[in-house]
Amino acid sequence: MYARTTRLTHREQVGPDCHLLEFDCPEIAGSARPGQFVHVRLTGGFDPLLRRPFSVMNINPAQGSFQVLVRTVGRGTMLLAQSEPGSEFHIIGPLGNGFALPGPPGEVVLVAGGVGVAPLIFLAAALHQPDNYRYVRALFGAAIGGDLCSWLELSLVCDEFTAVTEDGSAGEQGMVTDFLPAQLDRGAGCVYACGPTAMLAEVAEQCRRGSVPCFVSLEQWMGCGVGVCLGCVIPTRAAGAEHYQRVCKDGPIFDAAVIDWEAMRRGCGPG
Amino acid sequence: MAAGRVDLRVDLAGLSLANPVLAASGTFGYGTEYADLVEVSKLGGIVTKGITLAPREGNPPPRICETPAGMLNAIGLQNPGVDAFVRDKMPALRELGVPVIVNIAGETVADYVALAAQLSECDGIAALELNLSCPNVKQGGMHFGIDCELTQTVVAAVREVTELLLITKLSPNVTDIAEIGQAAGDGGSDILSLINTLLGMTIDIQQRRPVLANVTGGLSGPAIQPVALRMVWELAQAVDLPIIGMGGITSAVDALQFIMAGATAIAVGTANFVAPGVTGCIIKDIETFCEEQGIARIADLVGAAHAEV
Ligand SMILES: Cc1cc2nc3c(=O)[nH]c(=O)nc-3n(C[C@H](O)[C@H](O)[C@H](O)COP(=O)(O)OP(=O)(O)OC[C@H]3O[C@@H](n4cnc5c(N)ncnc54)[C@H](O)[C@@H]3O)c2cc1C
Ligand SMILES: Cc1cc2nc3c(=O)[nH]c(=O)nc-3n(C[C@H](O)[C@H](O)[C@H](O)COP(=O)(O)O)c2cc1C
Ligand code: FES
Repeated sequence: MYARTTRLTHREQVGPDCHLLEFDCPEIAGSARPGQFVHVRLTGGFDPLLRRPFSVMNINPAQGSFQVLVRTVGRGTMLLAQSEPGSEFHIIGPLGNGFALPGPPGEVVLVAGGVGVAPLIFLAAALHQPDNYRYVRALFGAAIGGDLCSWLELSLVCDEFTAVTEDGSAGEQGMVTDFLPAQLDRGAGCVYACGPTAMLAEVAEQCRRGSVPCFVSLEQWMGCGVGVCLGCVIPTRAAGAEHYQRVCKDGPIFDAAVIDWEAMRRGCGPG
Repeated sequence: MAAGRVDLRVDLAGLSLANPVLAASGTFGYGTEYADLVEVSKLGGIVTKGITLAPREGNPPPRICETPAGMLNAIGLQNPGVDAFVRDKMPALRELGVPVIVNIAGETVADYVALAAQLSECDGIAALELNLSCPNVKQGGMHFGIDCELTQTVVAAVREVTELLLITKLSPNVTDIAEIGQAAGDGGSDILSLINTLLGMTIDIQQRRPVLANVTGGLSGPAIQPVALRMVWELAQAVDLPIIGMGGITSAVDALQFIMAGATAIAVGTANFVAPGVTGCIIKDIETFCEEQGIARIADLVGAAHAEV
């Protein structure tokens, strides 16, 4: 874990409300693993107060830089989207457990919803390294074609790629989870998913029924980001002290089988 | 005055701190979590997350949310329980080389007494902080801290079973902070600390429901600093016990205000989440301020603002 003042080196609008941001930080670029996140301080002051978490989308250790994909949803992400290259940000990272690699044997299915694509791009790239090699099939869904941000980056690191939009404006029409059963029928060693809670709950349910291991990247409002405040918990099926687990430290990657999806669907945090 | 010549030591009822800056309960874990980012040994001391007799799983999420210049939390005292605390957390805490203050919470007077008795047998604890002010639990917690008689009863009962220094942590959710502080003093508290969080809430207008699953939570961060400062000021006028001031401190300017209002030491809470190195900056900047002002001992500034009014 590093805490560094970093420079925003590149900003690019990649969707109606999505920006790709690149930061200079050799320490994070040299140590981040797929599924980990960075905790970004938005200003030098204390309002907005809390840092904001973003998954690492890719790293460039040679250049000492890493990228995140940011969807503008509120004040903090708006501040980031409007920041000029050259601006400095204090960043803590890499944080969280990350995906266990190479994971279960067999072909991998990725299910990405919207900006949830970011950690899966990093994961797919890692699964194409010789040490971790897996055949990767990706499903990427969004409401409209414009929201399929960074689809090209994902398609370049996958063996098969299917885009799905609710309005049919790009790729197949429907919900991304409509296309998962066919993928599971073909046989899959493991499913990795990141996106809205409703999507993740459906992916988890399909994998449970198909007895396919499934790992999800979860979100929760965060205070410290390092395991101290106990603010970012999500409900698991375990009883007692293990019932609530911290997204920042025990996650953000969880085995879908341990999550209490009933409670998650009732609403435990952000979308 | 040459650098490093300011005497930053303060004395809290016999507990000597190398400097007046503590990490507040619930915002610094059990001392080791921030070790990568903070020079813990440079702190005046640390206060651990509230401990209860039995393990507690805490409240359902969402537990926190940001508010203007602040945050609400309703953690609900999630903790591993005192046995696991002594077994798993104390060994590393003893190695930190700074005074360790253990924050305890209970649902009944008997809980506080049992906790204090058990922790009195444990080496390496500089003081106990009685959390009579947690707003996020259904039983105990703040119910004690908003009632003079209950405050005195629980402090007196704990006093009987321990020789450890006793700090009573006061709730700001009261009409008259001075009378609660006096009650804690009458019960035998050696030191008073304040403030715990202010009760608050937020509603999501799209969903038409409270954001926090617990509905209400405790407000902390810069937003509460003026309220906390006023309460320290009022308490300092009413009692002679040493005070640990906290609430929204993010800088040496904030910290010095609390000291001048009458706090012998101060604690930094929420600011640790935002800027883990902030305690070190505060210590350094307090020293610089004293050098510039020709103050030889920080202790000389305690309550300094009262003399002027
Ligand atoms: C581990 C982790 C990784 C993440 N990775 C990414 C990423 O790669 N790209 C990205 O764009 N976002 C990511 N997020 C979500 C991102 O942190 C939030 O969108 C951001 O904090 C919102 O800040 P804001 O000030 O703009 O919004 P706020 O003003 O705080 O909130 C505006 C709206 O955003 C929603 N929101 C707030 N916090 C979160 C949150 N943590 N997750 C989801 N929605 C939230 C709220 O429901 C609210 O309606 C991640 C979150 C976590 C926990
Ligand atoms: C996430 C969180 C957890 C806390 N947990 C405790 C606790 O267990 N016991 C306690 O006495 N105070 C607890 N507090 C209160 C703080 O110690 C402090 O009194 C309060 O937050 C005001 O200071 P601040 O504005 O600097 O954070 C907690 C505060 C926060 C934000
Ligand atoms: S954000 Fe503080 S414990 Fe996870």
